[in-house]
Amino acid sequence: MSFLIAQSLINGIILGTLYLLMAIGFTLAFGVMRIVNFAHGEFYMIGAFCALIGVTWLGLPFPVTLALTIAVAILFGALVERVVFRPFRNDELSGMIASLGLAMILQHGALILFGPDPQAFPAIVTGVFKWGSLIVPKSRALALGIGIVILLIFYLFLMHTRHGRALRALVQDQEIAAVFGVRLEIMYALGLGFGVALAAVAGGLMAPLFGVSPFIGATPLLKAFIVVILGGLGSIPGAALAAILLGLIESFTSSFVSASAADIVTFALVIVVLLVRPAGLLGRAET
Amino acid sequence: MHSDLSVRNLVVNYGPVRALHGVSFDVPEGQVAALVGSNGAGKSTILKSICGLLKPIEGEIRVGDKIMSPRPGDPLRHGVALSPEGRRLFGRLSVEENLMMGAYTVRDKAARDQMLDRVFVYFPKLKERRRQMAGSLSGGEQQMCAIGRALMVQPRVLLLDEPSLGIAPIIVAELATIIQEISRDLSMTVLLVEQNAQMALSIAETGVVLETGKVVLTGTGHELLASPEVRAAYLGT
Repeated sequence: MSFLIAQSLINGIILGTLYLLMAIGFTLAFGVMRIVNFAHGEFYMIGAFCALIGVTWLGLPFPVTLALTIAVAILFGALVERVVFRPFRNDELSGMIASLGLAMILQHGALILFGPDPQAFPAIVTGVFKWGSLIVPKSRALALGIGIVILLIFYLFLMHTRHGRALRALVQDQEIAAVFGVRLEIMYALGLGFGVALAAVAGGLMAPLFGVSPFIGATPLLKAFIVVILGGLGSIPGAALAAILLGLIESFTSSFVSASAADIVTFALVIVVLLVRPAGLLGRAET
Repeated sequence: MHSDLSVRNLVVNYGPVRALHGVSFDVPEGQVAALVGSNGAGKSTILKSICGLLKPIEGEIRVGDKIMSPRPGDPLRHGVALSPEGRRLFGRLSVEENLMMGAYTVRDKAARDQMLDRVFVYFPKLKERRRQMAGSLSGGEQQMCAIGRALMVQPRVLLLDEPSLGIAPIIVAELATIIQEISRDLSMTVLLVEQNAQMALSIAETGVVLETGKVVLTGTGHELLASPEVRAAYLGT
């Protein structure tokens, strides 16, 4: 029993890290563009395919592949911002519809290129860590470790650099940020680029664990939504708390009840939290 | 004395509505100028135009001998900084981070630190609260932070939009003194936009009275304070 608890705990934390990567990119894109980006899950899918191509077709080492995935994702995000989202600035509804269209184009593009079947991802590392009866596959530990490191680097960038500060300022008041010399055209592209990169890196990290297909983006998108709403829109600590909570609830419910019960419990929790705290766990009400 | 900030024949529309009908005035170098007038006279419109947030239909704004282009960020490069109406701090950034955003374009760290120290000399309260979220400050402290943020670029022209708005009278008096000191110590040109005409004119060397998008009176602060029209219209005496 205690073995099952420990196992669920670790799996929950891995899921939580994945959700947090997704949620932070999603919030960032929302904060910068004011658009609910339905294509965010497809960036996860693209990240997974990038990793697959890097490792199996090009034969690159996994860390190099991940670094390339991040670089490609930032450029792709900047391009998407310029071509798809910028024309709809200050028009949230049209921007949202554009993001739905983009999601379809990306998903069906992947379908044409790679076909509908799930593709196996070769194991990056094999073997397990064992502490007594507790067993953690090294592949999961690796995904968790890299995920946490990337989250930390991004957090440090956001909180302790000049451009990170400008990005946070811009999310709060674009006009005033511009008056103080923040170049909006560049920051918009950078903001979406980083958002896309975080989703893509999540896809790349999870690809070896969950496999790759054109349809894998839907669930992470949904989870990012839940995390952002649950944690409080725009609150990073809130998102972190909600992501870990969501991961743990899912993993415990799956272990002790059933996988389908996990979704029921999750959504019940979201409804309860929103009834009790409409602004989310750590969000503040709009003033 | 030559003028540091010069507004010539400024015409601005909000959609179909004309907000400014050809406004002209000058602010001499190193002086405090007050722009007073009732709500909707076009005071904030002038400031927004000066810092590039609004595109004038006609007219010209000069700082020194440079013509400002109507793009946000460009006037800043020529030394124009704004403390906006309603303060508009970045509420979820700390006080120090807000000040640092003011110096966003200042690459030289030594210059930034020096200016930060100076802002803390004028506003010691901000130093006490430097790690606190700006959104949690009192109204007066937020106003100090907004002025401090604008000071951080060491501007040549400082634009203050309604610094007395929603602030206790005792703090307004304190702010007025500090604004005068700043202008004097740093020989900074200050354009002070106020509904509180009494406060603004009493510290201003130059005064401009605006009514429905036109300049109706100019003079020294003391002349305007004494003028019967101003007294009747804005001071209620």
